[in-house]
Amino acid sequence: MGKKYDTPLLDELEKGPWPSFVTEIKKSATHSNMANDELGLVEKSYRDKRGYWKHGGIVGVLGYGGGVIGRYSALPDEFPGVAHFHTVRINQPSGFFYTTKALREICNIWDKYGSGLTNVHGSTGDLVLLGTTTEALEPIFAEYSSRGWDLGGSGSAMRTPSCCIGAARCEWSNIDAMGICNEMTQRFQDEMHRPAYPYKFKIKVAGCACDCVAAIARSDCSIIGTWKGDIAIDQAAVKDYAGKGMDINAEIVEMCPTSCMSYDGKELSIDNGECSRCMHCITKMTKALKTTGEKGITILIGSKAPIVVGSLLSWVVVPFMKIEPPYDDLYEMISKIIEWWDDNAKPRERIGELIEVKGMRPFLEAIGVPPSPAQVFEPRKDPFFFWSDDDFKK
Amino acid sequence: MADLPKGWLTAEESKEKRQTDIGPPHFEQFLPPVIKKNYGDWKHHERLDAGTMVHEANSGDKVFTVRVASPRILSTITIYEMLDIADKYCDGYIRFTTRNNVEFMTPDEGKVKPLKKELKDKGFTIGGIGPRISNVVHTQGWVHCHGACTDASGLVKAMMDEFYEYFTEKELPAKVRLAVACCVNMCGAVHCSDLAVVAVHRKVPSINHEAVKNICEIPTTIGSCPTRAISPDPAKKSVKIKDEKCMYCGNCFTVCPPIDIHRPDEDGVAIVVGGKIGSARTGPKFSKLAIPFIYNNPPRWPEVIEALKNILDTYAKGARKHERMGEWIERIGWERFFSLTGIEFTYQHIDDFTFMRDTLRTSAAFKM
Amino acid sequence: METAELQDKIFAFVEAAKGKKKLKEKDILKGVSADTGEEKDTVKKAMRAMIDVGKLMYSYGGGASSVEIPSEEYLREKGLIK
Repeated sequence: MGKKYDTPLLDELEKGPWPSFVTEIKKSATHSNMANDELGLVEKSYRDKRGYWKHGGIVGVLGYGGGVIGRYSALPDEFPGVAHFHTVRINQPSGFFYTTKALREICNIWDKYGSGLTNVHGSTGDLVLLGTTTEALEPIFAEYSSRGWDLGGSGSAMRTPSCCIGAARCEWSNIDAMGICNEMTQRFQDEMHRPAYPYKFKIKVAGCACDCVAAIARSDCSIIGTWKGDIAIDQAAVKDYAGKGMDINAEIVEMCPTSCMSYDGKELSIDNGECSRCMHCITKMTKALKTTGEKGITILIGSKAPIVVGSLLSWVVVPFMKIEPPYDDLYEMISKIIEWWDDNAKPRERIGELIEVKGMRPFLEAIGVPPSPAQVFEPRKDPFFFWSDDDFKK
Repeated sequence: MADLPKGWLTAEESKEKRQTDIGPPHFEQFLPPVIKKNYGDWKHHERLDAGTMVHEANSGDKVFTVRVASPRILSTITIYEMLDIADKYCDGYIRFTTRNNVEFMTPDEGKVKPLKKELKDKGFTIGGIGPRISNVVHTQGWVHCHGACTDASGLVKAMMDEFYEYFTEKELPAKVRLAVACCVNMCGAVHCSDLAVVAVHRKVPSINHEAVKNICEIPTTIGSCPTRAISPDPAKKSVKIKDEKCMYCGNCFTVCPPIDIHRPDEDGVAIVVGGKIGSARTGPKFSKLAIPFIYNNPPRWPEVIEALKNILDTYAKGARKHERMGEWIERIGWERFFSLTGIEFTYQHIDDFTFMRDTLRTSAAFKM
Repeated sequence: METAELQDKIFAFVEAAKGKKKLKEKDILKGVSADTGEEKDTVKKAMRAMIDVGKLMYSYGGGASSVEIPSEEYLREKGLIK
């Protein structure tokens, strides 16, 4: 075992009731020299108020351009155990379910080749293995892939798609979010592993507008489940909620954004034609209210974090699309969306930023989606607008 | 080839065994039987306490879920401990949430109590369900990122020690989603969180011209700047930065590392509030600036924790039931938010980037 | 054009850009396709085959992915040279 580090600053972060990441690093340090030097390095960061990692280097597995993030310490002589400290992204199973057998096996392999430190899961959704060396990459990949696991995306590529729990254990889900996510992941394997896009492209699938996977904020292509029918009301259950102390007028009716509900102290009613399907009433009275009728998705495009030209939330592009396994229509739509972006974007330009530059019309035309009031909060305010030759033919 | 560490595959074995483009295993094989059986056929669910819920299917089957916190950075040793518990009580199945919580599920109500007891005895923190604070979405920080301007894990630990009761027990008017990003790249949903911390730089980067010449693509570097502050410096075969145009985003550093944005003594964090993801009641919202800067003060960032606590307490006191942070602020008005919290309003709060037109007030009606 | 000949052209194209411009996969497809008259898909297939055996490699730097000629260090690590 390597050097024993004094970590007075990090030790402060083992105090208090919340689980401590420092304890986790120390646990791994009991069997991994890499984790031990990581502990020393992070303590130094806490002392100097700065990170000591260099930019990603050129590492990966043969044939792939993604799934491994090169990471080297800026202080390899002082902390040789983290001279190489690469990240391996293992593509998570959709919905993050595991058998203990499978996850134990993942960990056993990681103990053999890496630091023993993980993120379960990383921000995009991958099961992240933190800290290994360049020479371990090929055997790691062989160990995992021979057991049915593959690497996730990184770089200028399709990133690992992710989803909420969907129909697996949620009554609100309008779609099989996990099924869609898995299917899209399988279909975009080449695009995930061989970075050929202008920049990253993320897909996230949420079963309803509650959006527990943050699709609308964190994915270039946000797929959100919705429905076209009425909300069925179980009046006995409504009564039950009232009996248990829910102030139905204050908590439900008056919080409805479209004022399409009323409650006379006995019965709840909904003017379904005016409902905007926001999910408030359904989530607060889940035993009383249920969506019915046709189920499908809304496709929204463009969200991203601030880099480069500011944050974006996704914009409604396809208001409603009916989908069924094996989701050919959805795959074709996403492919068209990506093709337009790939043909037009500058390097490191996300699709949301490209639409801002080019305008929504060329994008909608390219993917064959007609304009709809669902795509805007309100129409244009200034009297400046484009006319194309096509408009005169009509 | 030098001697391989014990148990490693040889290069030949690796070549033999490796498979490409198989994708992840299908999730179906990892579903607990009760989930698999009732997939897509759930009737409703009920929260039993801060860390327990029961879902009931149309078949009458039930599944109980106990949720526990994780520090996101997990050692395999801790994962093994979780797996042993899942073997004992959950028939060998386990699940994680999008916010790094761990879920233990069982169809057997009788197992819930002993499961929770064992989790508590082993030191796990149960909670995070309902109108509370759930686990914090965050980034790698000094633990593993070259661009980090603060440490996300440390901030999260200090925050959640402070807000611990809001995870395990106490309710808030609505759920409050926290996030921490260790730079403006925001590899987490900071930009749409109820209450979040994002690390920021405040000084124009310094340029190592010799290294720029050798490592960087000049046009890409110029193109990386969202405010067009970077232009060529032909004499040096490098670039120059117009100081007054730079907003310190650090994107130039990402594409060209010799442009160094880090200033350990001047770096710190901003606090943003009022973001939201879901469409319930009001639409998804970006988080907005509450506090432009607090110095990094590791290991426990007491000034940041104090500021977060002030905002959360003010919200808890003032918001109506089901009202998220951003909805409460929109109802009372941002001018009132600043007066209630006592947070100073500065030039930095007024947008002079992409959202200026949307955010300057164009009405004579506002609260004094 | 024979695949081997096409691959030589691809290699030459990448070599010419070395140290000047980080080539994205698309730059190579476009450039070599224009030079040789081969379909982009054909160029892609030939290039991918080169990447699979380490004649070329994916690289990452400056926040973007690119394709370049592997270093000796990379080839040694992959067991492609001694």
